[in-house]
Amino acid sequence: MPASFVEEIRSAALARYESEPIPNWRRSGFWTTSLRGLDLDALEPRRYEPIAGREDLPEVARDAIGEQERAGLIVQRGASTIASVLDPALAEQGVIVCSLEQAVEEHPELVEPYFMKRLSYEEGKFSAATAAFWTGGAFVYVPDGVVVADPIQVLYLIDEPGTVQYAHTLVVIGENAEAYVREACVATDFEGQALHAGAFEMYCAAGSNARLSHYQDWGSGEVHDISVKRVEIGRDALCKWVPIHLGGHLTKQQLDIITAEQGSDMRHSGLYFTQGTEHLDLFTTDRKEQANTTGDTVWKGALTGASRASYEGLIEIIPGATNSHTYLQTHSMLLSPKAKADAIPSLIVEVDNVSASHGGTVGEIDEELVFYMMTRGVARQEAVRILVEGYFEEVVQRLGDPQLEELCRRRISEKILAAKDTVAEFIAQR
Amino acid sequence: MSLEIQNLHVRTEDREILHGVDLTVSKGETHALMGPNGSGKSMLANTIMGNPNYEVTEGKILLDGEDLTGAAPDERARAGLFLAFQYPATVPGVSVANFLRMAVNAGREEPIKVKEFGAMLGENMDLLKIDRAFTKRYLNEGFSGGEKKRAEILQMAMLKPAIAVLDETDSGLDIDALRIVSDGVNAMRGPEMGSLIITHYTRILNYVKPDFVHILLDGRIVREGGSELADELEEKGYEFIREEVAANAG
Ligand SMILES: Nc1ncnc2c1ncn2[C@@H]1O[C@H](COP(=O)(O)OP(=O)(O)OP(=O)(O)O)[C@@H](O)[C@H]1O
Ligand SMILES: [Mg+2]
Repeated sequence: MPASFVEEIRSAALARYESEPIPNWRRSGFWTTSLRGLDLDALEPRRYEPIAGREDLPEVARDAIGEQERAGLIVQRGASTIASVLDPALAEQGVIVCSLEQAVEEHPELVEPYFMKRLSYEEGKFSAATAAFWTGGAFVYVPDGVVVADPIQVLYLIDEPGTVQYAHTLVVIGENAEAYVREACVATDFEGQALHAGAFEMYCAAGSNARLSHYQDWGSGEVHDISVKRVEIGRDALCKWVPIHLGGHLTKQQLDIITAEQGSDMRHSGLYFTQGTEHLDLFTTDRKEQANTTGDTVWKGALTGASRASYEGLIEIIPGATNSHTYLQTHSMLLSPKAKADAIPSLIVEVDNVSASHGGTVGEIDEELVFYMMTRGVARQEAVRILVEGYFEEVVQRLGDPQLEELCRRRISEKILAAKDTVAEFIAQR
Repeated sequence: MSLEIQNLHVRTEDREILHGVDLTVSKGETHALMGPNGSGKSMLANTIMGNPNYEVTEGKILLDGEDLTGAAPDERARAGLFLAFQYPATVPGVSVANFLRMAVNAGREEPIKVKEFGAMLGENMDLLKIDRAFTKRYLNEGFSGGEKKRAEILQMAMLKPAIAVLDETDSGLDIDALRIVSDGVNAMRGPEMGSLIITHYTRILNYVKPDFVHILLDGRIVREGGSELADELEEKGYEFIREEVAANAG
């Protein structure tokens, strides 16, 4: 019997879903994000059987997971949880890594206090959809004082066109606990449409030390990703969050990090690389709710082809969050004449005695640097590749995760090489 | 092998700066190019390397008889030209070691073996008394003025060019660093390398004795001579030369 708190939200969310039109998101930049091209009615949740091991996963998923030890692993393919693994030694310490469905059944008392605490089904049609229709999902629970050394991996996979995937991940890091959670969203290169509507929430309790990475590579299919990801950081806790966006036909995401209590601290570093006709619409919030909180946000992007990317980063400091210090930097690099980007930092500060600074730039590759490298014998194309890789290095290194860092470097390098014709064309036009 | 610059006219977007420069630097020779601020020394150096900001409207740049006037900078580098920049660029996210490996490999068919590269790098860093920790830092990021200049000479030592142009490598170096860099340049000197040292001071020329000195004034080479010309210049200043040129012209 599913827990009633989940069912209540499901039915309220369903009503909301049915009453909401499909939105167009107006950007403060120069375009809107629209789902006109998506045939929502043609999509369906697909069910799959569990797998025996990682080797049964497609390459893009195996790459994202890597080969090393994982403290725990949840894989959701389409609508089904197909792998659920947890190191028995950690299970003994009270760590839980399982599907959210299972957690609701088996540990409702642990799920209920956090489930949708910072998310709402009233944030638009797709947050309602996710709250109403989610299946599988992931639940990660690290009890107070427990240190989990190896990464905990959650992976969402779409490998068939016509799939809709409603995903919900809930992560709870207990007081003074330590853990590193990696969530990957990947798809194989198929022809056709799919939708991933995701909800991610993470709660880092007092004194905890958490790391979180999001790795998104939706491949060359028409995968639409509409997600909200939210992290709440408690008293004197620290969370380092690194979202990596390496591809997706259309992505509309809101990433919020809330330093919610005295002394909470965060580092938020993201990167994106868009190509072809990809459309990326990112909104991040650095929300400060209490005094003495700190933050540091860096986002870097690069665009090739005729892709569009908009990054909007808001710093929001509400009354009571005195003596907070934070800053936000964002850069976008255009590598093609047809690509368009905007980088919009903004600030809402409702209290005195804080420091908040922000900056945003959209630029092209520095020709001065290309010339410098070429005078060392390096061909132009190679120089561009190295400069773009170097540009991203600051963010890549913030992962602090050698396997994922290598994967990002490799994928970025492949993407630059794949786009070398538009890059060359760009250069020829100057 | 020699670098021949023939009647070179170069302009920026708005005006011509070099008005017909002739200069030949052969392997085994050391030349000094001196001239007041804004006379066009860096522009000449950059044009030799093919900086796209500068347009050659007349004249030629030949290396070993081959016309490189329209060649891309990387082609020139692979043909054996090198420039130590007056203001070296910062390359974020690319470590000194990676940068050097890339540059060394750019001039080779097969990539250099890790061991061979390590040995070569170690040797040259010793020569230039550069701390090994340096190689892990991003190229020129947060480097002091002197460190940047040393990193330029390290690149030169690794790339072993046929003709090297050093644009004010001595500026910003303290006395010890100047000696180290000069020793480094002297160690590379020989029948296999020709160099063109751009400088304002005779200080470096006392360490690296030039065979020829050229004076560039308002985009023209107005005097040439042996190393004694540098001393004369130091003594009398550019105004003297300027007057002399004016008198000859008049
Ligand atoms: N990209 C550019 N656009 C416009 N003018 C330029 C550009 N580069 C150089 N100039 C001008 O060309 C002239 C020559 O400059 P250059 O840098 O070659 O001088 P220099 O002899 O190297 O001087 P210094 O001794 O100060 O280094 C100067 O008047 C300079 O302002
Ligand atoms: Mg100069």
